[in-house]
Amino acid sequence: MLAFKAGTRAATVMDRIAKGFSDEEIRAIAQWLGGDAGASARAAKP
Amino acid sequence: MAAGGAAAALGAPAVLGQAAPRVVVVGGGFAGASCARALKAESPGLAVTLVEPAKLYVTCPFSNLVVAGLRDLAALQFGYEGIARAGIDVVHQSVVGVDPDARRVRLDDGTELGYARLVMAPGVDLNLDAIPGYDQAAAEIMPHAWKAGPQTLLLRDQLHSMPDGGTVVMSAPANPFRCPPGPYERASLIAHFLKTRKPRAKLILLDGKDAFSKQKLFEAAWQELYPGLIEWVSLSFGGRVTGVDAATRTIATEFASHRADVANIIPPQRAAAVARIAGVADQTGWCPIDPVSFESRLVPGIHVIGDAAIGGAMPKSAFTANGQAKVCAAAVAALIDGRQPIEPKLINTCYSFVAPDYGISIAGVFEPRDGLLAEVKGAGGVSPLDAPRTVRTLEAGYAESWFQTVTHEVFA
Repeated sequence: MLAFKAGTRAATVMDRIAKGFSDEEIRAIAQWLGGDAGASARAAKP
Repeated sequence: MAAGGAAAALGAPAVLGQAAPRVVVVGGGFAGASCARALKAESPGLAVTLVEPAKLYVTCPFSNLVVAGLRDLAALQFGYEGIARAGIDVVHQSVVGVDPDARRVRLDDGTELGYARLVMAPGVDLNLDAIPGYDQAAAEIMPHAWKAGPQTLLLRDQLHSMPDGGTVVMSAPANPFRCPPGPYERASLIAHFLKTRKPRAKLILLDGKDAFSKQKLFEAAWQELYPGLIEWVSLSFGGRVTGVDAATRTIATEFASHRADVANIIPPQRAAAVARIAGVADQTGWCPIDPVSFESRLVPGIHVIGDAAIGGAMPKSAFTANGQAKVCAAAVAALIDGRQPIEPKLINTCYSFVAPDYGISIAGVFEPRDGLLAEVKGAGGVSPLDAPRTVRTLEAGYAESWFQTVTHEVFA
């Protein structure tokens, strides 16, 4: 996701989407995708 | 911590022997069906009822492929068995009344359903008063095909039986309407059909606006794939349809009159009638919502998602509906539990086919701002204008993957 956001990884659409998220949000998404939904919920808290 | 509190609070009524809080979802399209499933999956303690009159759902996404003879309608049809298996009460009735004070909905068989919160995902009605001459009877001769099903097949069959050398006339409405790139994908795929099956035929696209979604990409592709075949008439050049005569398949604009062999009139739209029954539609015909919770600005306790909602910068698409449904489900569960909904970030991605192996896309990321859903600056946008054909082929494949993924998630 961070590479998509930076434009260093080839993409058709993920580059356009990743730019809409902060690095913290991307980490939260990664944690959620990694199966740790609890960590994701904590990271998403303001 | 909040999650633990939620589970405890949702579990409490069951322990005390009381009925679980019920959420009623009205409308079984991408928005409503997605929301019902997300509610049940993330809050198993809630009772969820999905009210949808039809026993089969036919997706509007990919229906332009059916129009062009590239896919069977059966591939777009989905039943509600998978949703029922997920523990949701599926009721095939229409809503005829909503009492927001008593928090009850009435169905056409007389049943009344109480709700803790009501989610409305009614989709659109085609406004058959908007164009003089274009009523229900006219739509059987000049199909809109903007709700997938018999209308899709009618348009397909008319294209198949039209003479080579004939003229197809399409009309697209002003904003807002369901699926902003849809008329242009349809024009592209009809052009593909004409090029291969009726090479002397032409297509005129009359438009009620001066600009449209993915316009540069569509126009470049039309030049490349269908030179001289599609004539787009913008609002400024007289594209707005002022009336139709179904008997002669004639479409009038301010400047001209077009005789069509096949006419496809996509009329203006508004939130479906049940939104007006519930009092959640405003004078625009659409439903204003809070962009965090999707709760109606007009009626407390009712949430509106999908095409019927005023989504701000979010287009009326199936991808949008699916995302709003998940955000709304989380907000509804939080509110029932006495918690504040979390500020969402939403995504939309819409693929369009310009030819069976040529796809283009638009994407956006959205967040609440000034009371509406606004685009996150610096993100989103359309496919590159100068991309090689291999990228178009890739995107056509991704369109297919998206359709398989979303329909599996919602209906399987």
